[in-house]
Order: sequence, then C-alpha cells, then structure tokens
Amino acid sequence: MSIKWQEYSAEGLWDELITAGGRARPGAGSLCRMLAKLSDEELNARKAAAELAIRSMGITFTVYTGEGSGSIDREWPFDIIPRLLLKKEWDQISAGLTQRVKALNCFIDDVYHDQRVFADGVLPREYIEKSREFRGECVGIEPPHRIWSHVCGSDLVRDSDGRVYVLEDNLRVPSGVSYMLENREVMKRVFPELFEDYVIHPVDDYPARLASCLRTLTSVKSPQIAVLTPGIYNSAYFEHAYLANAMAAQLVEGSDLVVGKDDYVYMKTIDGLVRVDVIYRRIDDLFLDPDVFKPDSMLGVPGIVRAWRAGNVALANAPGCGVADDKVIYTYVPDLVRYYLAEEPLLPNVPSYRCVDKEQRDYVLDNLDELVVKPANESGGYGMLIGPKASRAERNRFARLIRANPRNYMAQPMLKLSTAPTLVDEHAEPRHLDLRPFILSGASSYVTMGGLTRVALRKGSTVVNSSQGGGSKDTWVVDLE
Amino acid sequence: MSGHTLSSTAKRTYWLGRYLERTESTARLIAENGNLMIDLPARLPHSWSPLISITGSGATFATLYEEPTERNVTRFLIGDLRNHGSILSSLGWARENVRTLRGIIPRQAVEYIIELHLYARDHLSGALSRSRRAEGLTVVPALIQQIEGFMSANMLHDAHWNFWRLGNFVERADMTTRIIDVGTDNPLQTADAPGPFTDLQWRSVLRSLNATQSYLTVRQEPIHQSAVVGFLIGNRSLPRSLTYSLESLRNGLRTLPRSDRALRAVNRLRRFLQSSEIENLEGPELHQFLDGCQVQLAEIHQQIDRTYFEFHPRRIPQRADRSADTQPTRSDST
Repeated sequence: MSIKWQEYSAEGLWDELITAGGRARPGAGSLCRMLAKLSDEELNARKAAAELAIRSMGITFTVYTGEGSGSIDREWPFDIIPRLLLKKEWDQISAGLTQRVKALNCFIDDVYHDQRVFADGVLPREYIEKSREFRGECVGIEPPHRIWSHVCGSDLVRDSDGRVYVLEDNLRVPSGVSYMLENREVMKRVFPELFEDYVIHPVDDYPARLASCLRTLTSVKSPQIAVLTPGIYNSAYFEHAYLANAMAAQLVEGSDLVVGKDDYVYMKTIDGLVRVDVIYRRIDDLFLDPDVFKPDSMLGVPGIVRAWRAGNVALANAPGCGVADDKVIYTYVPDLVRYYLAEEPLLPNVPSYRCVDKEQRDYVLDNLDELVVKPANESGGYGMLIGPKASRAERNRFARLIRANPRNYMAQPMLKLSTAPTLVDEHAEPRHLDLRPFILSGASSYVTMGGLTRVALRKGSTVVNSSQGGGSKDTWVVDLE
Repeated sequence: MSGHTLSSTAKRTYWLGRYLERTESTARLIAENGNLMIDLPARLPHSWSPLISITGSGATFATLYEEPTERNVTRFLIGDLRNHGSILSSLGWARENVRTLRGIIPRQAVEYIIELHLYARDHLSGALSRSRRAEGLTVVPALIQQIEGFMSANMLHDAHWNFWRLGNFVERADMTTRIIDVGTDNPLQTADAPGPFTDLQWRSVLRSLNATQSYLTVRQEPIHQSAVVGFLIGNRSLPRSLTYSLESLRNGLRTLPRSDRALRAVNRLRRFLQSSEIENLEGPELHQFLDGCQVQLAEIHQQIDRTYFEFHPRRIPQRADRSADTQPTRSDST
C-alpha cells in the first residue's frame, strides 16, 4: 500500500507532521516526500533494518512477567517515522523548561530552609506538611549550588490548538534518556540519506553533559562518579548501564558501597576501598538508606544520607527533591516562577483545578465526566480517573475519594494529544504522542535537544508507557533551510 | 569504565569460571567412567561410588539415594538440582551469574551460556538412557569449549578476564588432583596377576583429562601409575596438569593488585610439589599427598576470596584509625 499522504487524516487533532489540509508542515516536506516514494518492500526493509539494529545494539527494556518468574528483556518498540520540531520553537520550549526547573529548585531549597513561600502566602504550608515526599531529614541541608533536582524529565504534550503544555515534571529519578540517544543511532542506520537533507541537531552530547553536571557537585578535582542502580531486575537497568558506560562512571549496586565511620562513601573494588565523590542514584529516596528511611531496604546503602549530610558525597538527585514532584504542587508552578524569579512563565501548565479549594472542587465534582483526576503523589498513570472513559461507579468512587481527602487530588480537562504519522503495516496512521525532554541543573543548566518522543501504538490510545503498548520515535530538532 | 573493578563483579566472574570448568570436568569424568565400565570384565570389581567421593558430595548423596548404582550416581551428578554441584546446578549458577555480568562478559558469550543452560535443562534432566547420557555429556563440554574460545578471542583481557581465568584454574587444579585420586583407590592395582587390566584405571584417568595423546607424546612409555601421576602433576606444558594451573594462577595474580598473600599460597603449593618425590608415591602416601594439594588449593581460594571479594568490617575506615591495609585509594583516572 505504501504511504499516501492524501489519505492520511488526523481528524480534529493537531498532527506534528501533516496539516489539517493534508500538507506537510514547514520543514517536513522532504521527509514526507521521501517516505511517499518508498514501496512496500522498501518500507518493510527499513523497518526490518531498525529491528535488526535494535537487536544487535541490545536496546531492551525489562518487563516483569509475574510472580516468582522474574522478568524478561524485550526489545525496544520503535517507529521509523521521526517526529520533527523546528529549532525556533524548540528554543522557546527549552527556555521555558530551564526557567521552570530553576524555580522548582528554588522552591525545594526554600521548603528545606526558610519556607518563605508559605510565609508569603504563595501556597499553604499544610501542603508540604502532608506531602508524602517531604523528608524531615533534609531540613537545613545545603547541597552544592543549592540544586536538588539535577536531572529532571518534564512531560510535554501538544493540544489540538497547537500549544505545548507541561503535563508533569519528573524531579526524582526520571528515565528514558538512553532511549532518546539510541533512537538517534538506530535512525542513522535506517535513513542515512535523510541526514544529508536536514540539519538535525545532535543529541549525543548528553552523557558528557551529565558527567560535567555531576562533576560540578564536588570540589574534588577528578571525582569518582558512580551510578547507583537497584540492579538487573529494574525496568531501567539498561539505561543505568548505558549511562555509566557512556560517562565512564562506575555502575554500582547498594551492596558495592559502604559508608565508613569517617562518613565517607567507599566502593568495594579489587584495589580495596575507593572513595566515591558523586553518586547519580537511580533508586527512590525511601530505599536509599535503611538507616534513615525504609529499614528493610536491601537496595540502599546504610549511612549514605549521613555521608551526604556531612557534605562528603553528592547525591543526584538529592533526597527530598520529590517534594516538588507532586501533582498538586504542579498546579502552583506558574506562581512559583513568578515568586522566585520575578518572571512570567514561558511554558504554560495544563489548566488545573485544585480539589482543596471549595469552588474548584465543586466544579470538579460536577464535571467528573469531562475531567482527568490525578492523585498528588502517584506516577506512571496509577490511581487516575479518566472521566470521559470511566464508568459511573468509578466516577462515584472518585467523588468519594476527593471529598475524603481533597488535598490529595487535582483535575485537568482531557487534552486532545497531538498525533504523528506512525507506520502501521505498510501505511501511516496518526497515533498520539508526548515528549520528555531532560533538563540538567548543576553549576549551569542544559536541556536536551528535543527529548524522548513516546507514542501510543494502539489506535486512539493515549497511553505511551512502553510497558503498556507504547513505543517511541526519534525526535528531530531541525533548522529550516 | 573507569579504572576500577568492583569486587562484586570480579567475584561473579571468578565463580562463573569455576562453574563452567567444574561442569566440563564433571561431564568428562562421568562419560569416561561409562567407558571404563564397558572395558572392564564383569569379574573385576568396579563401581560408580568413586565419582561421589571425588566430587566430595558423599553426605548429600547418602540423604537422597540408597545405593550408588549407575543410575543413581549419574542422575545425582548430572541433573539433580538437589545436588548443588551437579551439572545442571552448576549451569544454573553460571546463568544466574552471567545475567549480572552484562557489559562485562561479551554479549555473544552471555547468549552461549544461556543456551548451554537451556540445553542441559532440556537434555540432561531426570533419568537418562545410556545413549542420551553419552550424547549430552559430549555436547556440554563442546559447548563450554565454544564459550571459552569465544571469551578468549573476544573478551577484553582486563582484570575481569583475569578473575575468570583464576576461577578456571583453581577449579581445574582441584579437579585434576581429585581425578588422580580415583586411581589411588584402585582395586585393579592390587590384582595379583598383572594383565591387560592392570593399568586400565590410569588409562581412564588420562582420558578423563583429555591427556592420553599428550602423555604418549611426552613420556614415550607405556601407561603406568608413577609416570601418569608425574605427568599430570608436574608437566609444565599440559594445560590440565597441576603445575600448569599453578603457573597460570601465578601469572594471573601477578597482574592483579594486592596479590601477595594469594601468591604466597600459590608458591607454597609449588614448593610442596617440588619437594615431593611424586613418582615414588604409592597408595595411601599418594592419597595423602593429593589431600595436601587440595588443602592448599582451598587456601589459595581463601586468599583470593579474602583479598578481593570480602570486606571484613575491620577494613572499613574508622574515624581516626587508618592502618596501611585500610588506606583507601583514590582514583585519578576518570
């Protein structure tokens, strides 16, 4: 069948590549023409080339297969049609992300110090006191540069009006960046000729940027950096190993580290104990240190928080940074930008209703069939109500939940996520997608060029998680020639 | 990677080397014992029980089986997961270790090891007919040789490689002494009339170690006890001789940091070999000598384990007390 753009339609939605009139968007012309020229055989050959590349490069993600039997590694699902972003638009988004993460870091630091933000009435103090992610152990700590969230992954979506919104900020241990890097490598193998037609901004400096960001967190001249992973059974283990390797850092598990009575962190090597200066940890706060948090954690390192508090090791991200990774705090981010930076926010939030406010709560309860309701502290889409798709019983259940604990909920209108052409058999169909750029903060900050585009491979679905039928696309930030 | 090798991955690589070597030796030993049974005339006493004592698993065997029959012994040593030293158990450990060594062991070798385990699981579990057993015991060592060859040709010959080889040679040295030990408890040896079967057991020992051709090339004399023992212990060119394993351990340890204690243990055993008149040892004396070797090999393993893998609390820095041994090193290579 091959790809025929005149038959392609994303009815009523914003498509990233094709306009409502069926024309290629600015910059997408040569890509669309090239794709339309490919026969079925050629399309299948490119697709097979991508699959082969993914297999031979060992790009996998781990899926749990049920109790006892552990997990298996699946190959990464990848769509060969790239997603395009114009550099001009990207620069604006990038500036907005930098601004946003800067304000969020100011907020976290404020929460663990003077708490001016409450005194000044920007948001109510009880939000924090009741937050599951607030860590009393972090009060008074001054991490280097007063940065708490060194690696942030913010999820962006585009609504049918073409505007880009921030859906959420993952400030704790966001993953996906290795797939962004590998997608580009796969794409270079599959469509080398396209890289001649386009000025595509490279993404592969990320590991070096991450390494230099981590180096700014210590005064040690050639610091020993370690990536702390929960181990091979973690779904993001591939990424932990990938980043450690690309940064020439040491990949360690909790049992490889030990904290001395001198409050330094050491790793156990065949040379003896070697001091570790910076740890990029991919373990959740609560599992990090059994002395301080969950006492039964087998993944963590007893004493590591003590060493961090003593300033003898840098932890990225810092414990306690999740206090800003809360769906209700999210609704205040535009206010936080204004408060801490005295600037207008460059990137909009999705309009949101706070259930703790009576008026807004009443609106939410009256319109549950049109809204998405999110709990404050869950991630990965857990515990959500998708109003238009939910049953009456489910909506009633959420109404009760909201009334019982209004602080724990916020609601948003259901966005019509933008689409992009995605290969289905031998033709292109619109599929919903989002975008996760990564923002690094240390002595200075850095935003990835584009990010990881996740695409819901099932028709009509907006679930982009790889464990639930999601795939990904290479994301091109291009200059218009 | 930065310039450091984690104790945990070094340990798993070492054990991977041991498990695969153990599997290969065990497979060849069982296969050879099957051959020996065919060669032996029915009137001469012979049983499968020496295989249980060689592998040091007599106590476990006794709790699981009544008689050391061919069927019980082979099942116990090959496919019985209740025996932690069985071929299937060893390969299960190997597979579990290799999962955590991705990025250290070449990807293709990881796949070979997983396939090897799957093969053993599918072909060597449960009760086996003689022909199926013979086939499986031929395929498994061949697959291990493939892995060894692939590792040797493709893996970075770095510290991890060194630990893999240390594991190989510690296990191999140990197995060689155990296999020779079978000969010392030889009912044929004391048979009154020397005949075609007198040195049958020593021919079998050589075959278990794939060393018959090498023996004939080097010694150029008929196969008999003192020459075989001397050859398998002392020859410097035979890859499965004890001396060769010790030289390999010595070379491997010399390239590793902080190896003095393990090296001293290796050298003690080397001196022990040099000071023993191996070719004159017989019966109980030979058995005692081999026992001594095994004790010293266990000591070498202990030293490797203590130096590189285990961190005694005393070695972890205290507030104001840093002895030379606990002085942490600092990386300048990142």
